[in-house]
Amino acid sequence: MKRKNKYLSKTILYLLLVILTILAFAPILWMTVSAFKPEGEIASYPPTWIPQHPTLSNFSYVLGTFNFLRWTLNSFLSAIVATIIVILIDSMAAFSFARFHFKGNALLYATVLSMLMVPIQVTIIPLYLMFAHVHLLNTIISLILPTTGNVTGVFILRNFFRSVPQDLIDAARIDGAGYFRIWWTIMLPLARPSISAVAIITFISNWTNFLWPLVSVNSDASRTLPVGIAEFFGGQSGVSGSAPQYGPAMAAALMATIPAIVIFLLLQRYFVKGITMTGIKG
Amino acid sequence: MRKNFRILIIPYLFLIPYLFTFIAFRFGPSIAGFFVSLTSWNIVGTPKFIGFSNYIELFNDPSFITSLINTLYFMVLTVPALIVLGLLIALLVDQNLKGRTITRTFVFMPYVIMSTVVGVIWMWIFDTHFGILNYYLSFFGIKPIAWLSSVNWAMPAVAITTIWWTVGFNMILFLAGLQDIPEELKEAARIDGASNWQIFWNVTFPLLRSTTVVVLMLTLINSFEVFDQVYVMTGGGPSMATLTVIQYMYFQAFQYFRLGYGSAVAYVVFAFLIVLVLIERQLLKKVGES
Repeated sequence: MKRKNKYLSKTILYLLLVILTILAFAPILWMTVSAFKPEGEIASYPPTWIPQHPTLSNFSYVLGTFNFLRWTLNSFLSAIVATIIVILIDSMAAFSFARFHFKGNALLYATVLSMLMVPIQVTIIPLYLMFAHVHLLNTIISLILPTTGNVTGVFILRNFFRSVPQDLIDAARIDGAGYFRIWWTIMLPLARPSISAVAIITFISNWTNFLWPLVSVNSDASRTLPVGIAEFFGGQSGVSGSAPQYGPAMAAALMATIPAIVIFLLLQRYFVKGITMTGIKG
Repeated sequence: MRKNFRILIIPYLFLIPYLFTFIAFRFGPSIAGFFVSLTSWNIVGTPKFIGFSNYIELFNDPSFITSLINTLYFMVLTVPALIVLGLLIALLVDQNLKGRTITRTFVFMPYVIMSTVVGVIWMWIFDTHFGILNYYLSFFGIKPIAWLSSVNWAMPAVAITTIWWTVGFNMILFLAGLQDIPEELKEAARIDGASNWQIFWNVTFPLLRSTTVVVLMLTLINSFEVFDQVYVMTGGGPSMATLTVIQYMYFQAFQYFRLGYGSAVAYVVFAFLIVLVLIERQLLKKVGES
């Protein structure tokens, strides 16, 4: 009797697992399927999960009509440059906060952490005024710089650097290494897992950032992918209510999604690490 | 003497690049926002100091009140679901089941898709005439629902989208909390004859309390700041049914170019979040004591 019960509950758990996986994946699959449907088929009733006449016309339409590749390049470029800057300057600052006794250390670090409580949206209007003042709106620079003032990178790396044994630093000092060399040749390599987590968080948050790029850029030449998708395939663009337009919209959505999913599947471990480090301990 | 000076200055040299960007792009603008909120500032004209008039106007502004109520409604629709589902899914994929890592991966996957793409995907799913959701609902005899263009259904639709998109994030946080609980504790309870249910209520859940507080706060804050999905899917409509607070800030500042007024909206959001964070601190202290 008891064994039978256990068998039953195991079956239910597996069933839940399967249902959950299907619910989570169905919208992504539906986007993918829709992207390959020709204009006549996308509105066919009943809907089909396998395209009857698969086509690439939606993709060529998107690439031919919009500056899709330009948006992608802008997004990628600004995210990668921001990530490199963040890793360099955050790890330097984190090293200083974690390893030096100097006047103002605690106060400065507390000030940095206090910004975790201030919603980023508060900064949008002043940033806009600032970038307008120096004529840098509508540039890639305006997409990169605001990200570099982030707090989480310093937070994660400082925590890591505090755990490095002092002996390592002392030994290097005795060998005549300066502090910049210690940072570069000892601290950075040791921190590789934490740096990977910071890199992924920074890259993804930049890659998906929406409000600031929406506000700061309105020329197609500097537009990013999330903004381009919103402006040309969102509810305000005339897509809604006309099924044929959803073909190109899904093709664009799919092209914007594939890089993120590939990166995620390859680096899943670091994603999870980054989230738990900033979420739980933040 | 020289050596002393070098030792003194080195920590600051390491800090300078970061402190520059931090002050210029995070700390400075956060403070400056408050001063902008005390002015009447239309991009072209010069700013005029008007004290707290923006704030007074704000709380007499029916559209702003509507956006506040809408945002709270959105929170009611999403936060409990995200917490309960996040926890339940974490418990499920923490069980010793084959294929659980695959489920974990798939449940988390939507989170890496950019918000605006998520919005576009679900616009298609929610489409009144050709959407796949209405098609499956018709099997249950439900007539086509005008999800995104009806006052009653637009917000629930945005909420469903958001839950699908972010529940994996909460699952990961709960999972990390669950894995911090020593297996021996559960084992000991099991040997004492406790049922799974008893183990959950008396061992797992109490030890998960601080995780829960943190997840709850993150979820509350994120829902309060909702903008992207709404911007893409409904633009705040129909007839302001999905207008949220951050969106109202965006409209005031960048459509009507009332930068001072928009800043006041941002600072009201800030004030709400401060209250939330203070509550969190109290809760965490309580959890720590018990």
